[in-house]
Amino acid sequence: MDGLAAYVVRRLLFLPVTLLIVSFATFCITRWGPGDPISVYSGQYRDPEAFERVRHQYGLDRSIPEQYGIWLKDVVLHGDFGPSFRFRDRDIPEIIGPKIWVSFRLSIYAFFLTFLIGIPIGVIAAVKQGSWLDPFLISVFLFFQSVPALVTVPIMVLIFAAKLHWLPPGGFDGMFSTSMVIPTLALSLPGIAGIARLARATTLGTLGADFVRTARAKGIAEFDVITRHVVRNSVVPVMTTVVGLSLVGLIEGALFTETLLGINGIGRFAFESVNTRDYNVVLAIVLLGATAFVFANLLVDLALVVVDPRIRAGRPQ
Amino acid sequence: MTTAIGGEAEVYAELEAEPRRAASPTGRTLRRLLRKKLAVACLVVIAIFYAAGIFAPLLAPHGYSEQNLDLSFSGPSVDHPFGTDRLGRDMLSRNMYAARTTVVVTLATVLAGGFVLPLGLGLLAGYRPGAIDWAINRAGEVLSSLPALPMLLLINASLRTRFVDLVSWFEDRIHYHGLTSSGFADYFLIFSALSLFGWVGGMRLIRTQVLTLRSAEYVLAAEASGAGTWRIISRHLLPNVMPLVLVGVSASLGAVAGSEIALTFLGVGIQPPHPSFGALITDGASRTVLENHPQLLLVPASIVASLIFAFNLLGDALNDVITPGAR
Amino acid sequence: MSSKLTIAAGAVAAGLIIVLAVVLILVVGGGGGGDKGSATGDTRTPTTSPADNGPAGSGELRLRGPDPLVLDPAVAQDADSATYIVEIFSGLVRLDRDLKVQPDLAASWDVSPDGKTYTFHLNPKATFHDGRPVTAEDIKYSFQRALAPETASVVAENFLGDIAGAKDVSRGRATEISGLKVIDDQTISLTLDQPKAYFLYKLTYPTAFVVDQRQIQANPKRWTQKPNGTGPFKLKEWRLGERIVLEAYNNNVLGAPKLQKITFELQGGSALVDYQDGNIDATGVGLDDLQRVQDPSDKLHAEYQQAPRMSIDYIGFNTTTKPFDDPKVRQAFAMAVDRQKIAEVVLQGAAPIANGILMPGVPGHTDDDKTLPYDPARAKQLLSESKYGSDIGQVTLALSGAGATAGPYDEALVQMWRDNLGVDVQIQQAESGTFFQDIDQGRYQMFHIGWIMDYPDPEDVLDVLFYSKSRQNSTRYTNPEIDAKLERARVEQDTEKRLTIYRDVEKQLLNDAAWIPMFFDTAHVLVKPYVKNFVVPPLVVERYRDVEVTR
Repeated sequence: MDGLAAYVVRRLLFLPVTLLIVSFATFCITRWGPGDPISVYSGQYRDPEAFERVRHQYGLDRSIPEQYGIWLKDVVLHGDFGPSFRFRDRDIPEIIGPKIWVSFRLSIYAFFLTFLIGIPIGVIAAVKQGSWLDPFLISVFLFFQSVPALVTVPIMVLIFAAKLHWLPPGGFDGMFSTSMVIPTLALSLPGIAGIARLARATTLGTLGADFVRTARAKGIAEFDVITRHVVRNSVVPVMTTVVGLSLVGLIEGALFTETLLGINGIGRFAFESVNTRDYNVVLAIVLLGATAFVFANLLVDLALVVVDPRIRAGRPQ
Repeated sequence: MTTAIGGEAEVYAELEAEPRRAASPTGRTLRRLLRKKLAVACLVVIAIFYAAGIFAPLLAPHGYSEQNLDLSFSGPSVDHPFGTDRLGRDMLSRNMYAARTTVVVTLATVLAGGFVLPLGLGLLAGYRPGAIDWAINRAGEVLSSLPALPMLLLINASLRTRFVDLVSWFEDRIHYHGLTSSGFADYFLIFSALSLFGWVGGMRLIRTQVLTLRSAEYVLAAEASGAGTWRIISRHLLPNVMPLVLVGVSASLGAVAGSEIALTFLGVGIQPPHPSFGALITDGASRTVLENHPQLLLVPASIVASLIFAFNLLGDALNDVITPGAR
Repeated sequence: MSSKLTIAAGAVAAGLIIVLAVVLILVVGGGGGGDKGSATGDTRTPTTSPADNGPAGSGELRLRGPDPLVLDPAVAQDADSATYIVEIFSGLVRLDRDLKVQPDLAASWDVSPDGKTYTFHLNPKATFHDGRPVTAEDIKYSFQRALAPETASVVAENFLGDIAGAKDVSRGRATEISGLKVIDDQTISLTLDQPKAYFLYKLTYPTAFVVDQRQIQANPKRWTQKPNGTGPFKLKEWRLGERIVLEAYNNNVLGAPKLQKITFELQGGSALVDYQDGNIDATGVGLDDLQRVQDPSDKLHAEYQQAPRMSIDYIGFNTTTKPFDDPKVRQAFAMAVDRQKIAEVVLQGAAPIANGILMPGVPGHTDDDKTLPYDPARAKQLLSESKYGSDIGQVTLALSGAGATAGPYDEALVQMWRDNLGVDVQIQQAESGTFFQDIDQGRYQMFHIGWIMDYPDPEDVLDVLFYSKSRQNSTRYTNPEIDAKLERARVEQDTEKRLTIYRDVEKQLLNDAAWIPMFFDTAHVLVKPYVKNFVVPPLVVERYRDVEVTR
C-alpha cells in the first residue's frame, strides 16, 4: 500500500497550493469588479469623500497584491479572516458558523433521505427489470428531479402550511421540528432519481456477475442474495461517486430553498455577501468550501483507485 | 456533463469487447435508441418544444410584452387561451417566447463549450498520462473547489457590464443587434462561466473511460503501426467515447434549462422584458398569485418540467442503450 | 474482491467522518448559534428607584424583525439596524408621534439670538442601562467618537457636520470639536457654522445618540453585543440571524415602557401565516396579501391599519445626458405616464400617488396636485418640439434588482412610453451593489429609485437632492436660481417664510420635470386586537414604549 500512502500525501500537499490559488483568484475577482462594501452599505447617502476616508481606514485603497499579502498574513499567522464589512461587530467565524451549522443540519437530513430512499428504489428497479415497476419507479423520481425547487417549494408551502396548517411556512426550529419537513423534501427529492439510477445500473451489473450466480447456484434465497451480495457491491460505487459532490453541497447550502423559506443558511448568506461585496466573508466561505471539496475529492479518487485496479495500472509494459 | 452517469464497468466491458467496426458506435447507439418507444416519445416532446420556441414569433398570437392593464389576471378565453398575467399579457404567447429563450439558452451552453471542454480535456488527460494529466486534474480540482454559485455571482457582478459592452461593440461592427437585445449576450457570459466551473465532472468520466480504452487491443495495434496521438484520439477513442458524451449532453441540457430558472430568479439570468420560464415561474410563485391564479405558475412549470423530464428520460434511455445486460 | 470493497467502504466512511470533523472544527468557533454576549465588565445591576419613573410595564410583544447589521449608532446607516438602535439608544432630543422635536436626554434647550448656538440642559434623571447618570462629557465623547476617522462612519459628517469644527475631526485634523463646549456636568453647548433651522432634526438621528465611553474603552470590539444604552429598552438577547429580545429599561428618562419584553423573530417563512397562527402579534402586509386584507368582508380586515411613510418612489432623469438634458423630453416622458392606472392595476392601491415631492407629514406639504398631469397628446407634442424631435436614440431605464422580473411596475411604464410616445425604452436591471454607484457616476439616462426621509424637513429632500453642489444630486440638476433659493432657505429663521421658499422650489422642480414623482409610501400592518397603541411612525424612530399587550 506504499504507493497509495504516497499518493495521498502527494495530494494533500497540494491542498495549500489549491487554497492559495483559490483565495487569490477570489480575492482578485471580488476586488476587481465594480462596487465595494463601503459604497454598497451606505445606501442612499453618497459622500464620496467620506467613502474614501473609510476605505482608507480599512486599507481598501491599497493595491490588490498588498491587500492580499496583509490578508494572507492575518489568516495564516492569526487565523483572523478579517472584518466583515457588513457586520462590523462580529468575527467572521462567529457570523458564518451558525449559518453553516443550519445548512449542514438541513443537508444531513436531505443527504440521508436521498440515499435511504434512492438506493432501495434503484435496487428494486434493477431487480424488477422487465416489469412495469422498473420504468415507473425511475420515472416518478425523475419527474421530481425535473421540477425545479422554485416550483416545488411554493406549492408545498401553499398546501401544507397555508391551507392545511400542518407545517410552519418556513424558518428553522431545530433538528426535530416540523419546519424541517419542507426543506428536507425539497432538497432530497431531486437527488433521489440520480442515486436510484446509479444504484440500478450498478446493481444490474452485479446481478449478472459470477459471484451472484455462484450464490444462487448454492441455493441461497433470492432475498439474501440481493441484500448481502448485490447491494453491498452496488452501494460502494454509488457512494463513492456521489458522496464527494454531495459533501460540497453541504457547505454551499441550498440557496433557493433557504431564500423561499426564510431559513438563515449559508447558501443564502453567501449570495447576500456577494451582492453586498462583503469581501472577507465571501473569501472565508469560498475557502471553506474549497477545503471540504478537496478532501471529498481525495476520498472519491482513493476509493475509485482501490475499487478498480484498471485505473491505477499504467500502460501494460 | 456535470452529473455522474454511472455504470462505467459495463461501458468498459462493451466497448472493449467490440473494437471499431464499420458502423460507428454513435450510429449504432442512435439506431438502438430509436427502437425504444419511450425515447422516441421524448424526442418528439423535445422537438415540439424547440419548434414552438424557434417559430414563436410566427406562431404566437400576441407579442410577449403586449400589456393590457384592463385585462389583468383574466381567465382563459378565446383571445387568451391561457389567460393573462398581472399586466394583461397573453400567457400563451409568453410561454412560447419563453420556450424560445430556452432554445437560445441551451444552444448557448453547447456553444460555450458545455461539452467540448470536458470531452477535449478528458481525452487528453486520459490518453496522455504524466504531466498533462496531472496538470489537467489539478486545474480541475482547483476550479471545481470554488463554490459555483458565489463565483458565478461574482463573475456576473464584475464582468457583466464589460462583457455586454464588448458584445455591443462587436454588434456595431456587424450591424446586427439581435445578440444583446435577445439577452443572448447576458447568457453567454453566464454559461461560459458555468462551463468553466463545470467541466470537471464530465472530464473525469471521459478520462476514466479513456484510461481503460487505452489498453484495448485496437488502440495498441494502432500505436504499434505508428499512428500518431491525434489520429488515435480522433479515430479510435473519440467515437467510442461519444455515447457517453451523448448521455451527458442530454442530461445536462435538462440541467441547463433548470438552471436558467434558478439564475433568473437570482437576477443573474435573463433580464426583463425578455420572457423566460424563470421569469414566468417567479411571477407565478408568490403565494397569493398561486392561490388565486394557479395557472400562472402551473402552466410554465409543467412545460419546462416536461422538457427537463424528457431530456432526463432520454439520457436514461441512452444510458440503457449503451449498457449491456439491459433490455 | 470483497475485502477490497470493504476497505473502500471503510475508507469512505472514515473519510466522511474526517471531512465532517474538519468542517465542524473550522466552524466550532462560531458554535451552534447563540451570541457571545458575556463580554467583560459591562453588565452591572441597575440602581433602581422605580418610584421615580412609574410602575414597570408588563406583557410581551412578539414580532418579526429584520436582521440588524450593526448596533453601533455612530456607524449604522441602514433601516434594519436602526429599528433596534432607536429603542436601545437615545439622544438629546427625539421625534414624537407627530414628528415634532421633543426632549429626551436633554430636558430643555436655548437657542442664541443669532441662531447658531444651542445650549442643552440635560435631564438629571437621564441614566444609562446600568444606572450611571448621563453627563455632558458623555455627549461630547459620543459626538467625537462618531466623527473620528477610526470609527469609520460614513454618515457622521452628514448629521453632525453642521457643528463648527466637526469636519476637522472627521478629516483627522483635530480630535476635539471646536464648536462643542461642556459647560458643566449637565450642560453642553453646540455652535453651528451657520444658523441652520433644521439642525435639531439632525440630532434625532442615531448618529447623534449617546454611547457609554467606559464600556467602549473597556471592550472596543464587542460592546455592541450587550450595549449600555440610554433608550427605553435593553438588549437582552441577540442570536445572530435568529432572534432579538429587548427588555424594558424601567428607569428610562421619559418613564418606564408599558411593555416588559419584545421578541423579534429574525427568520421564517410567510409572516402572514405566522400571524394567523398566532405566533406573532403584528406584521407588515405585503403587496400580495394586500387586496385580501383590504377587503371589508375578510376577517383580517378588522385588524388592518395603514400609516403613511415618509418616502417617495420616483423616476429620476440624468439631466446632463441625451435625451434628458432637454426639459421638454423630460416633461414628455412625465406626462405620458398614467400613474393612476399603475396604482390600480399593478400596486392595487397599496401606495398613494405622489402629488409632489414633499410627502405628507413633511412641513411644506400641501394636498393639491402639483405634478404634471397625464396628457398623452401634449406629451407627444412636447417630444416633437424638443431639440431631438423624434430621434432621441436609445433610451434605457435602469433599476436595481436581484429578482427575476423588473417588477410589473417598470414593465407597465415601458409599455406606456411605447404606446403614448412611440419610444421603445429598454429596461436595464442593475445589481443593487453597484446601482447607487453607477448613478453617482452618471451612467444611466433614467433610473427608478426611491428616497427615504431621515428627518421631517424639506431640506432633507429638496436641498440634499437638488442643490447643484450636493453630493446626493443624482439627477445632476443645476439651476442657479434654485440654488440661491435653497441657500436662503437654509438660514431663514422664520418658519413660514422658509416653507414658502421650499414650496416654490418644489413647484419649479416639478415643472422642470427633474423627476417623475410616482408614489409615496404607505405602511400596511395587521395588529392583533389585544395590542394597544401600536404605532407605525413615518420614519424609523422609537415606537414601542407606549405599546400595551393585554393578552
